[in-house]
Amino acid sequence: MKRFRFLILSILLVACASVAFATDFAVIVHPSNATKAISLADLGKILREKTTNWPSGRGITVVIRDPNSPAMKFLIEKAMGGTAEDGKAILNEERRKPAASVIFVPTDEDIVKAVETNPTAIGIVDVYNITSGVKVIRIDDKQPFDPGYALKGH
Amino acid sequence: MKIRSPFELAIIAVLVAGIAAMCPLARAQKTAPSRKANALAVKSDTVPVTTTSKEARDDYELGLSHREDLLYTEEGIDFFRKSIKADPHFALGHATLAFFTTDPSEEVRELALAKANVAHAAPNEKLLILWMTGTKNGQLIPAIAAINDLLAKYPNDKRLANMYGEWLLGAQENYNQAAKVLEKILKNDPDYYPALNNLAYSYALGGRAELAPPLMDQYVAALPGQPNPQDSYAEILRMLGDFPDALDHYRTALRIAPTFFTSQVGIASTYALMGDEERARFEYLKAIDMAKERTDRMDYRILWAMTYFRENRPGLARKAFAEVAAEAHKQNLPIEEAECHRDTALFNPDPESATNDLDAASAVMADKRHILVGTRESELAKILQARSFIAVRAGDVDAARKALEGLNSMAQTNRDNAVQDAYHSANGAVMFLQGDYSGAISELEEDPRDPLTLQLLADAESKAGQTADAQKTLKTLAAINDETVEMAVVVPPVRAALKSNGSPSAQETSH
Repeated sequence: MKRFRFLILSILLVACASVAFATDFAVIVHPSNATKAISLADLGKILREKTTNWPSGRGITVVIRDPNSPAMKFLIEKAMGGTAEDGKAILNEERRKPAASVIFVPTDEDIVKAVETNPTAIGIVDVYNITSGVKVIRIDDKQPFDPGYALKGH
Repeated sequence: MKIRSPFELAIIAVLVAGIAAMCPLARAQKTAPSRKANALAVKSDTVPVTTTSKEARDDYELGLSHREDLLYTEEGIDFFRKSIKADPHFALGHATLAFFTTDPSEEVRELALAKANVAHAAPNEKLLILWMTGTKNGQLIPAIAAINDLLAKYPNDKRLANMYGEWLLGAQENYNQAAKVLEKILKNDPDYYPALNNLAYSYALGGRAELAPPLMDQYVAALPGQPNPQDSYAEILRMLGDFPDALDHYRTALRIAPTFFTSQVGIASTYALMGDEERARFEYLKAIDMAKERTDRMDYRILWAMTYFRENRPGLARKAFAEVAAEAHKQNLPIEEAECHRDTALFNPDPESATNDLDAASAVMADKRHILVGTRESELAKILQARSFIAVRAGDVDAARKALEGLNSMAQTNRDNAVQDAYHSANGAVMFLQGDYSGAISELEEDPRDPLTLQLLADAESKAGQTADAQKTLKTLAAINDETVEMAVVVPPVRAALKSNGSPSAQETSH
């Protein structure tokens, strides 16, 4: 199969610390949500439950993957600051559970489905899993694939 | 179509018939006489194909079966061309041709025609057009949303999912995501051979090489009379450094289909990697004769010219590259023309003269011709990245900064992997020259597959005192077996140095 012009097709036989493949994480909301952009700091506040309502006054529901998953480790550190452990502890606080302000689901597909059907939800997924049923919002005025996008992870 | 033997024709006819049988929509809609009727067609397992012409529809299906299922790439593209000739308003036909063609002028023209005719397409078909065109014009977010919508609506459309997996693998280099999509197809149909092929590549390139050979065995067994399984197996074995077995598989592919030119070029490149450049040239000339697309022919001429550099005959190499560049200019193939100058520069041991070569490459790109902005910028990024490497060799921080400035401005607006990787690599080069080795490592790690970047990374790791990391990076480099100029420039001296327990430096690499 040689369908890609002079692509560097290298099998990496030796594990190398430098070899990691980046993916961009998309912050998604329901299409009816008027929010088009937030700052990374604001996203951190939402995850920390410092911000609990959308500008419309409706409560925010965060839908994310299990904080112990590798992807979430990067997101927690990036958006919440501090260590992944601190972030996990905050996300798992007992007092948040009755209000269900944070919902953990197993896969990105589950996050997308939850956000598609919940006008107050905000989720974070690998950008390659988005559908037209959700709206991708800008973070620090950039969207996934933009140079310098804050949530470009490995 | 370039299939000559009756045996090949018979095999393809049988396979295409089988494939058509797997595509209920294509069957159902063959009888649909009008666009309106198509739009009202009963929902099928596959995305609608809207055309008023039965011939266009049949050619489109043949295009997909050749290009996607059997990997007769030239024949597949020819069928797409025939389909839009039969129905010039066939939007999906134009989008598909734009998506697959390697000819930059054709790509520009067909994208415009897809857009102009999109109103004729059915709603779900429009999503497919949106994905195909969005991947070409930088509208990736709506494009990804569109393909995921389609995959949800057509969960049994294996070809659609395979096409997405192939795009993730080839264009996005997102091997994990590609594997996820392809594994899902194979879970429902373990024998779907196009996905077996792509999944093997996803594993091999994504760091799970040990999983690839069993899939290749399955792929070969599924299509015993087809050349591509043998060709793919050969390529993976070659990447693993098993050249004799790679040659065997390439030869088997050619015995099955003597016109399967990718196996012919595979043989040539394998000899080039083995160091038998004279034999490689002989085999490349055969591949050039066999290829029909002008871009393929020109690409193989570049590989042919590179053999002179590989065997350290710089005078003959420069002459060969100058001739190929002149021919590319004559044929209005600016990417190939610029690449000739860029390749010459990378092999040029004199930084000043190499800079002149790169000036010639930049001049080609400055000449306004019919290529997409993205395609032009991708080549420009490679030229600027080459400038930064030459600057490192010369220890010229100002030249490295200048290259970085160009890339920085391009990277602000262009999300293409080639542009972004080149930017990080050039930024790492500047930091390296400024003695900020830790910063350089962090930037160079963003471009983990380019041998030139990897070599600079090894240097930076070494200078930062990370000796074990530097050795790992050099071993990774030494294990690369592909036909790119970057590999040809960097890997042989690294292998030689590792053999003599030395550590080659990016500042020393030149032939």
